[in-house]
Amino acid sequence: MTKTHKMNRRSILKSGAAATTLAMLPMWAGRAEAACGTLRAGITGYNVINTLDPAQMTLIPEAYVVWGMFNCLLKFDEDMNIVPDLAESYESVSPTVLRFKLREGVKFHDGEPMTSADVKFTLERLKDDATASPHQSKFAPISEIRTPDDLTVEIETSEPFAPMLSYLTNTRTGSQIVPMHLLKDGTPEDFATNPVGTGPFKLAEYQPGASLTLTAHTEYFEEGLPKVDTVEIPLIAEESAGVTALLGGSVDVTSTAPFADIPDLEQDDRVQVLKAPGANTRFVSLNNAVAPFDDVHFRRACSLAFDRQAMVDVVLFGEGRVASGIIPNSITWAATQEQPMEIGMNPEEALKELEMSKYGAGTDATVLTWGSGWWKRFAEVYVLQVNQVLGVNFKVEVSDSGTVYQRKQAGDFQASIWGWLGLIDPDEYAYEIYHTNGSRNYENYSNAKVDALLEEARRTVALDTRGALYREAEALAIKECPVLPCFESNVHNLLAPKVQGFVQRPYSGFGAQLAEVKDC
Amino acid sequence: MSAGLKYFLTRLGGSLITMLVGTLVVFFVMKAAPGDPALVVLGDFATPETIAQFNADRGLDAPLMVQYIDWLVGIIRFDFGTSLSVSAGEDIGSLLAFRLPNTVFIGLYAMTIAVTLSLVLGTLAATNRGNIVDTGATSLAVLGVSMPDFWFGYMLILGLSLGLGLFPSYGFIQPSESLLGALHSGFLPALAIAAPMAAVFTRTLRTALIENLDREHVMVAKSLGHSGRFRFLHHVFRNSVIPYIVVVGLQIRYLLGGVVIIERIFGVNGVGSLMVEAAFARDYFVVQACAVVFLAIVLGVNYVVDLICAALDPRRAR
Repeated sequence: MTKTHKMNRRSILKSGAAATTLAMLPMWAGRAEAACGTLRAGITGYNVINTLDPAQMTLIPEAYVVWGMFNCLLKFDEDMNIVPDLAESYESVSPTVLRFKLREGVKFHDGEPMTSADVKFTLERLKDDATASPHQSKFAPISEIRTPDDLTVEIETSEPFAPMLSYLTNTRTGSQIVPMHLLKDGTPEDFATNPVGTGPFKLAEYQPGASLTLTAHTEYFEEGLPKVDTVEIPLIAEESAGVTALLGGSVDVTSTAPFADIPDLEQDDRVQVLKAPGANTRFVSLNNAVAPFDDVHFRRACSLAFDRQAMVDVVLFGEGRVASGIIPNSITWAATQEQPMEIGMNPEEALKELEMSKYGAGTDATVLTWGSGWWKRFAEVYVLQVNQVLGVNFKVEVSDSGTVYQRKQAGDFQASIWGWLGLIDPDEYAYEIYHTNGSRNYENYSNAKVDALLEEARRTVALDTRGALYREAEALAIKECPVLPCFESNVHNLLAPKVQGFVQRPYSGFGAQLAEVKDC
Repeated sequence: MSAGLKYFLTRLGGSLITMLVGTLVVFFVMKAAPGDPALVVLGDFATPETIAQFNADRGLDAPLMVQYIDWLVGIIRFDFGTSLSVSAGEDIGSLLAFRLPNTVFIGLYAMTIAVTLSLVLGTLAATNRGNIVDTGATSLAVLGVSMPDFWFGYMLILGLSLGLGLFPSYGFIQPSESLLGALHSGFLPALAIAAPMAAVFTRTLRTALIENLDREHVMVAKSLGHSGRFRFLHHVFRNSVIPYIVVVGLQIRYLLGGVVIIERIFGVNGVGSLMVEAAFARDYFVVQACAVVFLAIVLGVNYVVDLICAALDPRRAR
């Protein structure tokens, strides 16, 4: 394809077989070409987008688009280091005050300049009860936001709160900077479907449940970005349809890929498979408040009685790794490094623990799971192994994910398969799951020593000290097995052979990464 | 009032009552199923407070019957309401307006393929009874009936799209944008839906034709010296086509069932894929609206089938 011969999805489809075949010939994908016209980047496995307002977004496909249309003060690089985005630099003025120096000349899609007032407005909007943002609690520790000048912002928290830096990154945080001039008198109804940000792309067309078209923000602050003029984003509900779309040349990039297809696709020269360890955790959640999981020895027995690598092989088709704790290994500075004894198979120890527990072989329990795909298989593989090793009588109950979630919140469960995806700060895993008051602690776990360490970690800004505190807290928690960490799955993207420049993120980045793509 | 008019007015009334009962069943089954649109929209961030707020804002905390009647009153005014959890806040009428032409196009396309194939195969089989042509056509029909449409859909992608590159593997061009593009990109989904229907039609037509070929009035016509072609068209085909059209009408339900799955596989943005997504997201009002559309299509088609049958055989309306 040459620059003057731009083709998009429709024209390729329209011109039919000949064009599709020709478009795949290497001679068409000229090497001299630096940029490309239209990138067709399919969001696969999802097609529900309810809002593109960062303050309201919750679903992954919503985030995929929002990330490309907005910026935050900070962002993550591919090694999960926090780097500046709209901020040019930042410093910790005191344990409770962060000061950000903003970039000059940043413009919103409508041409208005972005200033410190927009930053202050964005964060206050998130904190405001009237906004009813699902992200509100992350910003509750903020006590004051000062804007000494147009390009300086100071954020003060009521007490030292280290996770704040992560919450100011362009991930599923809601802290994407929105334009005050459009929203100060209340959010217009159409902001959810026609948002204005500072990001590399702006929205050109939106067909609910079907597709989005983004065009380049020509006044984007990063020189030379985005490299594509137009991004067409079909919403492809079936993950497997995404694979055929890519193989057939109907899309250039996919946001995910089915685990089972990865080994075959890696052998296929019609596709590039990108994979990286994901920022996610999958575990068996045990309700520590009810029988039989109210007994620490029984829980330990349950943790020692199954082979996690077998799970990775059977459930993920090898596309992941055994967990060493609840904090994913991709967050290297805080994750538990050495595989703890409790997170591994040891039938002898398991039976010893069972002996010490007040429950024995033949104990009944129900493990909740949902769907028909790998979540169900996950539960089955677990129950099968534990029943065999311990002689207990666990069974699987299949429901839908919403119901399982509701029952967990209500405490109406014994055990369930569970997991979190795309959380980016160790606090969101360790504190929220292990702390007595943690918002994701559905296990009713409580240990004063663990609580104290997690609280201290929240107050510690220095990364290595903070990481060590998480490791210490997690080491204690793992001994009591409130949850049974199992595995972390890889994140995947499929790319057409000629696509270059897409760099993955462990949290499954999408929209923002498309700005770097060249040759499509 | 003429008997014919009365017959059709009664049928119309019956259809409306069927639609009402249909929406009632869909609504209460959806409500009885576990899950909650609030959980879909709020995702990982749902708390009891935000869920309650969500439901209150959208009138989902009102008694079920009140919700249903509110919805029904809206429908009578052609106001389908707004989506809860598949495209929150979006007007359902405009969601349907975008998608319905796609579904109707694929449906008609599939129907055309199925009818054309079956007319040819059915006639060939009946007029070549017992020989290799008949065996071939009948075997094809058995194969067509036995293949699940989603499987056949993937096989078509594998062979004709990824293999030979004749058709796109994904995506559908709207007929309003390009009719040729729609015919090209819609061929595989239409064929996947058409195959099992064509098989049923072929068998029906073959049986009816064979039955009529042996009837006495055909023998009489033959003895009067009418040509084979004349006998076939006027005495055999016309009588056989009534059961055939009835079966075609009945298969509309099957067609819509096929559309739901095939639209997802081929990425056709139609009413079927919208309904699936809405059901997963517990978007009651969108599911309802899709159900009304599907019911209206099924009842409308059956109505038309009755009209055609009555025209072919005026005794039916009396």
